[in-house]
Amino acid sequence: MNDNHSNPELIYRPRWIVPIIRDAIKNYPIIVLKDIRNFKNAMRIFTFTALCLFSFTFFSSCDPLVTTFEDVEDAVMYKAASITEPGVVPPEGFDVIKVMTWNIRFGAARIPWYIDSCGDRVLLTKKEVMTGLEGLAEKIKQVNPDILLLQEVDVESKRTAYVDEVQWLLDHTDMNYGAFASMHQIQFIPSDGMGRIDQGNAILSRWKILETERIQLPLRGDQSALTQYFWVRRNILKVKINIPLSLPRDFYVVNIHAAAFSTDDTKRQQIDKFIEILDELDDNGAYYVAGGDLNEIPPSSDSTNFCDEDRCPEDADDFCRDGSDFYAETDWLNDLYNGYTIHPAVPWSEYLEDNSPHFTHSVVTTGYSWNRKLDYLFSNSEWVAGSHITHQDAFDLSDHAPISATLNIDQPIP
Amino acid sequence: MKPGKRIIVICLFLLLVSIAGNNNWSSGTATILPKGRWEMGLFQPLRVGQTERIEWSIHPILSFQIPNISVKIAHPRFNGWEFATRHSLIYPTPLLRRLRLKGFGISTLAEMDVGGIISNDPTISQIPHMVSLKNEALLTKKIGVKTLLTGKGGISFAIKNGKLDSRTTIDLPIVFPRLGVYYNGYAVNLGADLLQQLTKKLQFLSDVDMILLPGADEVFTFEHKGLFIWNKHSDFRILVGYKLVYGEYPFGTQWHLLPLFDLEWGISK
Repeated sequence: MNDNHSNPELIYRPRWIVPIIRDAIKNYPIIVLKDIRNFKNAMRIFTFTALCLFSFTFFSSCDPLVTTFEDVEDAVMYKAASITEPGVVPPEGFDVIKVMTWNIRFGAARIPWYIDSCGDRVLLTKKEVMTGLEGLAEKIKQVNPDILLLQEVDVESKRTAYVDEVQWLLDHTDMNYGAFASMHQIQFIPSDGMGRIDQGNAILSRWKILETERIQLPLRGDQSALTQYFWVRRNILKVKINIPLSLPRDFYVVNIHAAAFSTDDTKRQQIDKFIEILDELDDNGAYYVAGGDLNEIPPSSDSTNFCDEDRCPEDADDFCRDGSDFYAETDWLNDLYNGYTIHPAVPWSEYLEDNSPHFTHSVVTTGYSWNRKLDYLFSNSEWVAGSHITHQDAFDLSDHAPISATLNIDQPIP
Repeated sequence: MKPGKRIIVICLFLLLVSIAGNNNWSSGTATILPKGRWEMGLFQPLRVGQTERIEWSIHPILSFQIPNISVKIAHPRFNGWEFATRHSLIYPTPLLRRLRLKGFGISTLAEMDVGGIISNDPTISQIPHMVSLKNEALLTKKIGVKTLLTGKGGISFAIKNGKLDSRTTIDLPIVFPRLGVYYNGYAVNLGADLLQQLTKKLQFLSDVDMILLPGADEVFTFEHKGLFIWNKHSDFRILVGYKLVYGEYPFGTQWHLLPLFDLEWGISK
């Protein structure tokens, strides 16, 4: 015990600390071997304790530093604080559903964030987050969709003052149910005080979500193992929705946010997986609406290189940021536009006629200059002709413009 | 400061803070070190017995960046309990300012600069000068032959010369509640230690601690540790164990289970 100090036998002559440390380290194994009986006892106790601790850890809620995901797992379900009446069910024979997709940039609006917009901002204030979310909610209420696909939604991130944006948007719009699939869940990022982050894709719906699937997409192949471990784990969020119409088939919503900065074919693999899921749903006779931020331009776009537009003031004149040059990727969406069963909300012919009204993205922080289309809506049902809108007026609310369109699911599947 | 040195400073800070409060041998109890005895560990503060009634302690490595000093004073025993009070003064501003940076320019972590613990966001004002004073009472009693029980309770106060932005919190176990006093103005701590002699040379220390930040959004932190202590003799020992932390953070509550390890040396004159 602690009365050793009073025992004269144990009082040692002063020595320099360094030799003491050296002796201790050098002699430690000998100590153990000398006192083998105590060592055995200690090991027994230690083993027992270790087993207890292991069991406790296993059953406790200790989270890993970086959350990894199964290939397919459930998404996180949400429900609005108060359920809003879904509204008048459309008359028989005219079953339409309004769908909207939006990369909301975690509610940062056009604040010059340090990674994606040549900025220096890292952590938003709660007031800034609220202002951003209020702008998003106002636009969503104005468009009034039945189903909303969201990308870059934060639920527990220091950069957005730990506001659960899925819950907040449910509680401040007419949407009732939600599902969330995280793509970047880390307890602490020691880079410019980023700290904790949890962001991902979400689907909000007026109607009950019956089933959810978070489908893991291929990780980037152009990164080291360490970087890949801490990098975003992009996913497809697939949900089955209970639409109160007399539909002969199940109705699914599929939301994707594909790789933004990969320099290999990772994004192509992710897009192929997206198409594979849509084909599978169609083969199973289900209705679907799908979309999101593909981080890819449509085939035959007028411009394929955005190095000049994306360059930051501090970059060299000939510098091109990763993800700014699409020249080698121009055919990666062909199967989404040439497929017989996949119908884009914005018809390809209309896009080819004039690209600019359909642009949904720009990284610049000032000036109204959307410069490419990265966001999409697709379905295996028919879209109501002329119902699609690319809401380019929402420039101040995110670095992506939302797209909305109305789906006529009364049309038979070809 | 060069990146390598910065990394060492940060690692040391996190290690030292993570082990803080892991005081035993004499300092976790109301017992005062005998006059002339020195004790220190890899992660423990240096403790010195000045007289039979007064013991000083300081984290020598940390003190370059986070000046700190603590004094433990023995008081008359009552009802068989040893009684002491401990008073600590900490000035964390230099270290917190040093931890506030973008990173070291080493992009190995998700292609971002590694090393920025506190954000350098331009809308966050400079970390102000801050000082905290912690006052703690310790009561120790020997129960039977093999067990030593210590109860402790204290209150901390902090003063600062400017606004401390809430975005500068380090939302990690052990660190977050200990820095909470600077955001909240005051904090309360309560705890108990049980030291058991298992064999001639082996002891087991089990403790519980609570840190409370009354009035804050994150009020409660509970910590428990279990430590096996192998005493070679009164001048050297090895400590291995775990620390379990349950706490409220700005994002909610969370459990953490952390490993503990230390080596301690003592010198008696």
